Amino acid sequence: MARVRLEQITKRYGATVAVDRVSADIREGEFITLLGPSGCGKTTTLRMVAGLIDLTEGHILFDDQVVNNIPTHRRNIGLAFQSHALFPHLSVAKNVAFGLEVRGGMSKGARNARVTEMLEMMELTGFEERVPAQLSGGQQQRVALARMLATDPRVLLFDEPLSALDRNLRDTLKYSILALQRRTKKTAIYVTHDQSEAFAISDRIFVMNKGKIEQAGTQLDIYLRPQSEFVANFVGDNNALRGEIISISENGADGRTAVVSANGYTLSAFCPPDVAVGDNVLAFVRPENIHVLSETDGRGDPTVVEGTIEQIVFEGPTVRITVDAKGFPLKVNVGGAERLTLIEGGQRTVRLKLDEVTLVKSNGVTL
Amino acid sequence: MSAIASSPVQRNRKLSSRTVFGALQHVYIWIWLVLFALPFVVTILRSIQDVDGGHSFAAYQQVFESYRGNLWFSVKVTVITIIINLLVSIPGAYAIVRYTVPGKRFVLSLLNLALYTPGAVAGISLVITYSYLFHIPRTTTGLVGAYVVGTYPLMLVPIIVALRDLPQVYEEAARTLGANRAQSLFRVELPLLGPGISAGILLTFVIVFNEFLVTLFIAGPHTTTAALTVYNLTRTGFLPSTAALAAAMQLISFLVVLLFFRTFGSRYLKGTFLI
Amino acid sequence: MSIPASTQKDAAPSTDNSRSRERRRRLTGPAMVLPALLVTVLFSIIPIVYLAIVSFTEKSSFFFRNTTYTWANYSTIWDRYLPNLETTMRLALLSSLIDLIFGYPFAYILIRKVRYRELVRTLMVFPLFGPLYLAYGLSYIFLPNGPLSPVLEFFNIPATKWLYSEPSTLFGMMIFTFPFMVMNIGAALSNVDPMLEEAANTLGAAPWKVFIRVLFPLSYGGVLAGFLMCFGWNLGVFVVPVLLGGLEQQRVISLTLYSKGMSQQDFGMASAMGIVLMAIAFIVTWASLRFSRGALGA
Repeated sequence: MARVRLEQITKRYGATVAVDRVSADIREGEFITLLGPSGCGKTTTLRMVAGLIDLTEGHILFDDQVVNNIPTHRRNIGLAFQSHALFPHLSVAKNVAFGLEVRGGMSKGARNARVTEMLEMMELTGFEERVPAQLSGGQQQRVALARMLATDPRVLLFDEPLSALDRNLRDTLKYSILALQRRTKKTAIYVTHDQSEAFAISDRIFVMNKGKIEQAGTQLDIYLRPQSEFVANFVGDNNALRGEIISISENGADGRTAVVSANGYTLSAFCPPDVAVGDNVLAFVRPENIHVLSETDGRGDPTVVEGTIEQIVFEGPTVRITVDAKGFPLKVNVGGAERLTLIEGGQRTVRLKLDEVTLVKSNGVTL
Repeated sequence: MSAIASSPVQRNRKLSSRTVFGALQHVYIWIWLVLFALPFVVTILRSIQDVDGGHSFAAYQQVFESYRGNLWFSVKVTVITIIINLLVSIPGAYAIVRYTVPGKRFVLSLLNLALYTPGAVAGISLVITYSYLFHIPRTTTGLVGAYVVGTYPLMLVPIIVALRDLPQVYEEAARTLGANRAQSLFRVELPLLGPGISAGILLTFVIVFNEFLVTLFIAGPHTTTAALTVYNLTRTGFLPSTAALAAAMQLISFLVVLLFFRTFGSRYLKGTFLI
Repeated sequence: MSIPASTQKDAAPSTDNSRSRERRRRLTGPAMVLPALLVTVLFSIIPIVYLAIVSFTEKSSFFFRNTTYTWANYSTIWDRYLPNLETTMRLALLSSLIDLIFGYPFAYILIRKVRYRELVRTLMVFPLFGPLYLAYGLSYIFLPNGPLSPVLEFFNIPATKWLYSEPSTLFGMMIFTFPFMVMNIGAALSNVDPMLEEAANTLGAAPWKVFIRVLFPLSYGGVLAGFLMCFGWNLGVFVVPVLLGGLEQQRVISLTLYSKGMSQQDFGMASAMGIVLMAIAFIVTWASLRFSRGALGA
């Protein structure tokens, strides 16, 4: 149960910067996820916390203790590998007992008791004498978890432990991992590229890209208030429009609202503090926040958009339409009963209202 | 080849020609296998021939009485060579697979140098070097040195193969569980390298146990191995005792090989010219 | 667990320690390969260098007061021992060719047709034991009044023709290096997809054509590697001519070297012969490894 602090940790391989001044403060007992595409530096960061990779710069602290120079085997961490990494020449029981045996200080009886306890916790009682090769993928991963927890590590690290398993197994196991963490109350750092996995189990999420943390926050923060172009596009589906701030009005406690001229539309959006009038911005609106209006609604509202339906796809719970509005394609998700009207109606044009538009300052680089 | 139109008689003839050809191929293989095995079989037969045409194991008794010292010496020297090979090859394999070594390819070619050297050349060079440079003429140390340099590359290869197949993740897992370098090595890595290491031991044993050519140059009266004894005896004719010693050496070697194949299969001998 | 506790956030930068660890890691590789290098240097390289030096001395004068340096050994080889070299090369070349001719079909049948490959592999281990037992057994088989003589009498072949001749020497050499050839060709052939042969068949190529146009070109590397490996080994042949050869066969360099060096103590000459043999064998074997798959250390 340790508080983990990453202070400006950096990893360079020659001229390439794999991890670029990453800082994070993880509270005791918190479950955080490093989320990002391949090559973003999340695995490298995790391995530095584990001690398998040396830092080029920065500090890692467990509870106010700098652990940079402590070798892996004395950091008292637990690491769950993508490939479970069970020792093929040892039985399940011996695998789980491995960490206890190498550290010493426990009698044989105490070790056996602990092994039994761990296997029970993972619902693998009776598997003691089996060899890893005799187990299914899910069972192997559970033995790996039991092995990791047996030594009572102070930090739990997960390196995409579920990506080698099939969909159903993944869904079940991720909740088991969460339950395990809650029960043992240990600080956990989880790495994945799967957004739904991250959303399902984390207290906080750190979205990483190209070695940097793009945004850190809860699921809601990240989804509803992306602070960068990358986060807006990586998490969930999004429409992005380029625009310019025309005016900003203060709303007191609610922050500021901006009027944006984007792609020929006039939009009203929540305005982040670092944006000023005249700035170039990207306006993001999620497909589920674009509402289809009837013929009569919103007449005279300058923020209503008209466009032609290019494509309709029935996805089951939603209907996804691609709309060409003033030359710009908008992706819209329609749910509920009105989606069926859309399908069967056969109309060619729609009138749309864009809600919950978020702005991100643009650096002028095209998407 | 219109099978539909051909008569039954024709079809049978076609069939039998293919089976005959197939049989001939098997025969071809077997001819050579027999040729390989023949010298060995003949040696055994000769070794159990009695003076008056019967069969007896008297020759073997005589061999074990007269040459017991040589056999024991051979075993001793072979075991020492195996141990030194292990101490040299295991770190060497690690260096090549897991660490960076400047000029790795050149170093590897260099390590194989002894294998490109004809036996007589190695022999004469070592005789001169041992007698006049190192001052260890006709010693056991000299023998062991020659054997190690000639066989450790053959132990290096199977261990490299095994090490390459060993994912680094096991070592990492051991570390995260608290094992230091030594614990990880002895509890996880070496057991998993077992088959590769055993292949190396096998090759070393068989080659060193039966080596006589370089030995011919560098051995002395007190350091005569069993293989060298066999060579010396073959100059004197075809007595049953000579055959017995030769047969015994081959039998021992063959049993060791069989034992290895039974336990580990032939995977780890890949790349050593033999498999 | 002795963990250095640091309560200062701005403790000494981590770079110092990690850089020294980097340095240590860079040194570990060479350090671990050092024993092997040492062994090779001591017992392989130094002896050969020494041999080269001695080859330029007269007889055993290197080891005594007045060492005389001379080219004489090499010129003598050129003047007097050329027949020995010629015999050595001829025997090596012929036996390797025979290996190729009989080994290729063997390898082909083994890879494509026969199912008891494991058994064959086990038997092919015999060369590991060295040519001594093989040569000895063969010499006994071919012996006049030996086990083969009743068979020979039946066919009216004079028994003495077999032993101590070039054919018997070639046979002994060829049998010993046969597995080297088969392994190399086998490795190359197993990389040739059998479907390629089938495709050639369906396109109308008779078996002979399939061999020339498809199989051989694709297995050429293995053929070359096997040939060179056999050749390289056969250059240094020693015991086979002793037990199976006549006077002419016993002119091979290895034997001459032995008699010069050990019997006559003419170390200068023996060293020169050694260097010459080594040079030829080295070039050949090095070339063979360049073409062979799964060569040592690859």
